Amino acid sequence: MNCDQSVQALRQAAAGGRAPTGNLAAHLEECATCQTSFQREQALFATIDHSLRKRVNEEPRASFLADVRAQLSKETLAKPGSNAVWAVTGATLAVVLIGMFYPLVNSRQPRVQGNLQAATVRAPQSTGGTQPARTFSVDSGVRSGKYSGEHSPAKTTVGQEPEVLVPPDEQNAFAQFVARVAGRDAMAEAVVSPAANKTAARNTELPEVPSVDIADLQLDGTKSDQWMDEPGGTE
Amino acid sequence: MQEFTWPDRTAETELALDLDKAVLRREFEQRLDECGTLAFRVARGVLRNAADAEDVAQEASLRAYRRFALLRDPARFRAWLVRISFRLALDHARSARRRECRETVWATEVPKPTAEDIAASNEFGRRLQEAMESLPEKSRLVLLLAGMDGHSLEEVAEVLQLPLGTVKSRLHSARKQLAEKLR
Repeated sequence: MNCDQSVQALRQAAAGGRAPTGNLAAHLEECATCQTSFQREQALFATIDHSLRKRVNEEPRASFLADVRAQLSKETLAKPGSNAVWAVTGATLAVVLIGMFYPLVNSRQPRVQGNLQAATVRAPQSTGGTQPARTFSVDSGVRSGKYSGEHSPAKTTVGQEPEVLVPPDEQNAFAQFVARVAGRDAMAEAVVSPAANKTAARNTELPEVPSVDIADLQLDGTKSDQWMDEPGGTE
Repeated sequence: MQEFTWPDRTAETELALDLDKAVLRREFEQRLDECGTLAFRVARGVLRNAADAEDVAQEASLRAYRRFALLRDPARFRAWLVRISFRLALDHARSARRRECRETVWATEVPKPTAEDIAASNEFGRRLQEAMESLPEKSRLVLLLAGMDGHSLEEVAEVLQLPLGTVKSRLHSARKQLAEKLR
């Protein structure tokens, strides 16, 4: 074993407070440098131990324990049940906080639901218009007494929606159809509303038939049918 | 700290609680007597001066007393007190370092140490303190407890609830690290 190899082994031995053994001991007997190095290491560890022992075994002043005892009499003990007391206090506080904040949260809830409902109902209207089928009936000229007052929320938008005209002979049927649709849920309304819109679109075209001017004879839409049916009716 | 009182407590209940308190107090003082100045020694091992160590030891004792009824295994009191003292001492040392830094930054005139001061100061002690502060906390605590009179390594292992081999390993490692820094 050479000196380089022995240095680390000597430090390990000194740190552990052990005497060198085997090859290391043999080398130490022959090498004066390593002997000096080992003694220096031992002295270092002895100094460390001495300083530490001196420090951690220092005594406090004589009145230290008496002072601690005097302080103890001013202190209060935590009882084993004190955790339960804190748990009850915490639970009560939580209930109070929930009671305070629930109305605030709850007041926002219907607004959100209302938006969702409106979105659900309006989705199919994009093809035909902005008014749900139920609203057509209210404002469609059918104006059946049993239906007109039933859905007050829809009335708020009635004035903004186009009026749907229904021929007089179809008014009863249309009113029954709309009443049936109104009795169903929003999904059913969504399914049937395009058809209602088409009907509305078809019905709105009827009054726009232009009157016919033939020479000096002026016929309106209803009389023109009679004129065309007359035999020999020529210009 | 204001003590919580139940509104429906009777005088008998109060008396029983007072008795319990007195019993706990007596038991705590008995255990404190057994430990002697353990809290102070642990704190002194961490802190630079004895006055700070006394403050920390007193605070650790009071904390232990406040929570003594919650200690499930009274036989573990010694280990409990050691840990409380060690944590408080570390906290105190950290805040002292921060305070020192602030004062160093803001000080306009720092008095120069005289030749006598320098001669009187223990240079090795200062370096040892710095080396100790750089050790991991686990190794540091083992080193402190092993250095206390009357503490065998088996007792250190018992206090820290560690295997004896772990204590020996940490102690060996800590001494080597200290030597590296002081060499």
